[in-house]
Amino acid sequence: MRTWRVMKYLRAIQSAALMTFRQNVFDMFIIFGVLIQPLIIATLALWMIGDRVGETIVFIVVGSGMTGLWTNLLFESGNSITQERWTGTLEMLAATPTPMPVIVFGKNLANVSQSLGSMFVCYSFVSWVFGYQVTIEHPLLFIVSLGMTVIAFVCFGLIIAPIFLLNPSVQRWQNALEYPVYILCGFLFPIALLPGWTTPFSYILPPYWAARALHDASSGGTNTSEIVFSIAMLVVCSLISLIISRTLFRIMLRKVRQDATLGLQ
Amino acid sequence: MNKLRLNLRLFFQGAYLSYIALFRWLRPATYVATKVFGPLNQILFFSFLGMYATNSRDPSFFVIGNAVQMTALSGIFGVTMSIGGDRWEGTLPYLFGTPANRMAMIVGRAFFHIFDGMLGVILGFGWGVLLFGLDLSQADPLALIVTILITTISTSGMGLLLGCLSLITRNTFFINNTVYFLLLLFSGANVPLDSLPSMMRMISDYLPLTRGITAARTIIAGGNLTQVLPALANEFLLGVIYIVLGYVMFRWFETQAKRRGTLEAI
Repeated sequence: MRTWRVMKYLRAIQSAALMTFRQNVFDMFIIFGVLIQPLIIATLALWMIGDRVGETIVFIVVGSGMTGLWTNLLFESGNSITQERWTGTLEMLAATPTPMPVIVFGKNLANVSQSLGSMFVCYSFVSWVFGYQVTIEHPLLFIVSLGMTVIAFVCFGLIIAPIFLLNPSVQRWQNALEYPVYILCGFLFPIALLPGWTTPFSYILPPYWAARALHDASSGGTNTSEIVFSIAMLVVCSLISLIISRTLFRIMLRKVRQDATLGLQ
Repeated sequence: MNKLRLNLRLFFQGAYLSYIALFRWLRPATYVATKVFGPLNQILFFSFLGMYATNSRDPSFFVIGNAVQMTALSGIFGVTMSIGGDRWEGTLPYLFGTPANRMAMIVGRAFFHIFDGMLGVILGFGWGVLLFGLDLSQADPLALIVTILITTISTSGMGLLLGCLSLITRNTFFINNTVYFLLLLFSGANVPLDSLPSMMRMISDYLPLTRGITAARTIIAGGNLTQVLPALANEFLLGVIYIVLGYVMFRWFETQAKRRGTLEAI
């Protein structure tokens, strides 16, 4: 790919991200998902765990923050193309020379980056309000894990968005998809608690590897190679997501351009 | 007599029409996802979290708490959307233009959601029995049904108040979601009330669900209706207070909107 094209796409990603961020920043639904809900979940977990909270405090902070990341990805990135249909701009987007996945990538990047606020809010809340000392055991690996989490979530959002647009019947399950990922990905409790047959479902979900990398890097209970393995799995998941999303976007754009029916649903 | 008949007709017609209007855009799949699998997921999440948190293999405390909390799905979201729907669909001016009894009109909006909410709680218990082996053998079925009914009424009362708030704010879903999650924290669904700080316990006393959840746990543990009657009476009274507050707010909003011409103001 030529350099000028890469630069052009990067500029499109930046514009889409900036535009989405400006639209989202005062959206009360997003504020709920990123700030309020993770805080309430963190508080619930703190009180539920009670006396043992000292040893699990980092786990709670990271896990509660992850709930904000997933909720926002599901509802905001999941609707990132559907919203264009609601506002009547889907066809215009399909007609622009910039490929639609590039634009949606930018939108997802804004959503996911904004959701990182949930992690920061939970950390601040637990430290300042409850007075717990939250220490990250492997700061460098934690930062790398966080960066890869953002990329993996953005790429996973590229699969969810066209699926929701192409299948309104799947989107009807959006509300019911929030907790299963909290459960299967071990955000707030280890997946070892779940029946064994659910483990393969956890393994195919990028948020599972993100939670594993972030939990391990922050709690420090495992050796470095396991954290690196989780980060590598996030890279693999991102690549697979990109490949799948390529096909999904192709189907979607064919429907927009040839059938001209997508905006009508 | 004629007036009473008229108000009753208005009550039931309003109740029926607002309910089918709310779900008219829903297909069975949406209902199943929201009202069947949504509760299942919430029960699973908090039960596993509870088992991990308490190092226990018995999730009954969390299953019962979250099953009763299911009533808030209908009581808070359903009722609020039934009332707020008139504003979003542009039918509020027509509503305010009628000489209909306002109390019958707004309470009617909650009527079907009470049954829907009860069904949700029963379904929650069903999931608990099926997946976590919740033991209901000691429970007096009549006492449990009465508890569910009264808890659903009080939660719907709060929904009516929030629904009236939805007539003056755009952030209905923010308010509803926040209240729903705060109820998870304050109602004792997941955290024993005596482990909450005294300030939070005081707030819990003024919220619906708190006494209902405690009563349900007592009945499932083998208690009888007489034991929980005082708590249920308080729960019912609280529901009535919320309904009256909702009615007062509705009338105030109507008067202000007519006086200032802000009927459709956002």
